[in-house]
Amino acid sequence: MITVPLNTLVLLSTALFAIGFLGVLLRKNTLIIYMSLEIMLVAAILGLVAFSRFNGTMEGNVFVFFILTVAAAEVAVGLAIIVALFRKRTTIEVDELNALKH
Amino acid sequence: MSFELLHAAADSNRWAAILPEVSLGCLALLLLVLEMVLPRAAHRAIPVVAIAGQTVLLALLLASFCCASGACGIGAYLGTETFNGLLLHTRDGQFMRVFFLLTSLLVSVLGVVSLGRRQLPRVEFFSIVLVIGGALMLLAQSNHFVMLFVALETVTVGFYILVSYFRTSALSLEAGLKYLITGALSSGLLLFGIVLLYGVSGNPLLIGSTDNGMHFGELRGFLAANPDNFLASLGIVLVLSGVCFKIGAFPFQIWVPDVYQGAPTPVTAYLAVGSKAAGFAILLILVHTAFAPYAGLVIPVLTVLAALTLVFGNLAALTQHNVKRLIGLSGVSHAGFLLLGVVASLHSTAAIGAVQFYLGGYLLASFAVFGVMTLLARADGADADAIQELDDYAGLAKTQPFLALVLVIGLGSLAGIPPLVGFMGKLFIFISAFQAELYGLLAVAVLGVVVSIYYYFGWVRAALFGEPDGASKTASADRAAAPVAAKAAALVAAEPASQPAPSWSIEFEEDTPLQNKGGSAAGVCVCTPVKWALGLLAAAVVFFGFYQGALGDWLLSR
Repeated sequence: MITVPLNTLVLLSTALFAIGFLGVLLRKNTLIIYMSLEIMLVAAILGLVAFSRFNGTMEGNVFVFFILTVAAAEVAVGLAIIVALFRKRTTIEVDELNALKH
Repeated sequence: MSFELLHAAADSNRWAAILPEVSLGCLALLLLVLEMVLPRAAHRAIPVVAIAGQTVLLALLLASFCCASGACGIGAYLGTETFNGLLLHTRDGQFMRVFFLLTSLLVSVLGVVSLGRRQLPRVEFFSIVLVIGGALMLLAQSNHFVMLFVALETVTVGFYILVSYFRTSALSLEAGLKYLITGALSSGLLLFGIVLLYGVSGNPLLIGSTDNGMHFGELRGFLAANPDNFLASLGIVLVLSGVCFKIGAFPFQIWVPDVYQGAPTPVTAYLAVGSKAAGFAILLILVHTAFAPYAGLVIPVLTVLAALTLVFGNLAALTQHNVKRLIGLSGVSHAGFLLLGVVASLHSTAAIGAVQFYLGGYLLASFAVFGVMTLLARADGADADAIQELDDYAGLAKTQPFLALVLVIGLGSLAGIPPLVGFMGKLFIFISAFQAELYGLLAVAVLGVVVSIYYYFGWVRAALFGEPDGASKTASADRAAAPVAAKAAALVAAEPASQPAPSWSIEFEEDTPLQNKGGSAAGVCVCTPVKWALGLLAAAVVFFGFYQGALGDWLLSR
């Protein structure tokens, strides 16, 4: 069995987190932004599992299930809002969703 | 994990200790059951059940305080950890519990008024308000990152729904989307911070490593043994930024004005009071337990945030004409004052009481103002709730003297005019900041108070001295409403006009005709019990301004 060192996993997790974070800040399509948010959660999950494996504690693994549940709830509500908004405004580009300005 | 350990963990589950939260959850479920069981004509009673249930719970919770010393009630669990260390029942937690229960009760009352004018499903609103209330109460007692994260996400996901609850309004949905993105971003930051702290505190190569790194007490022990760990510092900063999103502190306040404007007014009140107070409850817990050994990092970060928040919140609020944006941005400056209190509490813990007193005063005054806003908000057009301008309040003193009085008392308290409770709150915070020798921050805060008086009094001036320019009150109110109605019409027209009614829409309750179709601000106020409640709030604002007494002693003595 090939053992991947902890540093590699943590670096990968950090890179994923950075990709997600920058995606949220830079991209203009709501669905892509939403994907980036999920990538951030996945990055955190990967980090938890890696630390849990190398520290020899179970807590991280257990926490992953809570995060997955929360993420599922968030996706359900979030996509509902996006669909409702699309039916109203026929766009999901953040640049065009600017009715709330003064 | 062996069987004995599991058994010991299960032994620490004291369900009686979280009876109020469990009851709130059951009440939320009961409402949904009632909706299915009761005939349609009786659906009006469901919100009353929600409000009555919360009132009874609040009374029981307060009663259980009175015998806190004895073995009865919740007081018996003070100072103990339950649920294997997930919860820690403290005096601060008890105060925040009452605070959040009162908040959700008042939001339900405002919800009755606001939803009564719209053809939207209602029961879900109260159900979600109750669930959020319960999660907020758990959040204020959390002692473990898993508890903190799950409770916080329950609150946040509930708020996504509530913010976009007026789903016939594009503005409400847009606010919901904005809150969704910023809220999920802040959860991501918080979560990654938790991961880093968990990872570094469990590292067996470091001194004092623990196998329970998400427990605040254990984490504190680890951090004390490793004072200059880079990963731990990074984790702390990430967790703090996640929390600062919730309280709307400066670099993380971008969502505040838009979301506050688009959300239904009762939900804006819930965000302004409940969500903000929740952020401060967690912040106080974190900086005083888990992050206490890193005060050298936390104090400068929070000091800079407090100063920037005070400056930004007050300056940005100066130029607002929409009252919901105004109160949102002034809420940012309140977060600044509270952050000042948190920084002071890191020097002497007595300031925690000052922060709690400020939060209590903020609750009373905010709900007085939000109550008036809810009563005066028009319901003509889907977007009307989001378009409440300062001009709409012109001549309120002549048309609605009672509401004008409540509004002036509430705004005066938010501005910090003596002898109202907001003044005492600011005074307690300033005194503790002075004792902590935070002279620079104190100067910024005093300047902030001066600026805030300016914009609050713009509102008061509109209400008291603004001329409704017309003889009859209906005509005047209609005229004041005219530009807003035009704006709403323009917004509606901007949308594709050929929108068919969504086929998946939930059946409306036919027994509630849309009230106040005329859209005059003067014709709306028919809700006498709500007016009485607002009068009580205003009276409390004045009363606690004069008299702090036992409550003040209880909060400030430690």
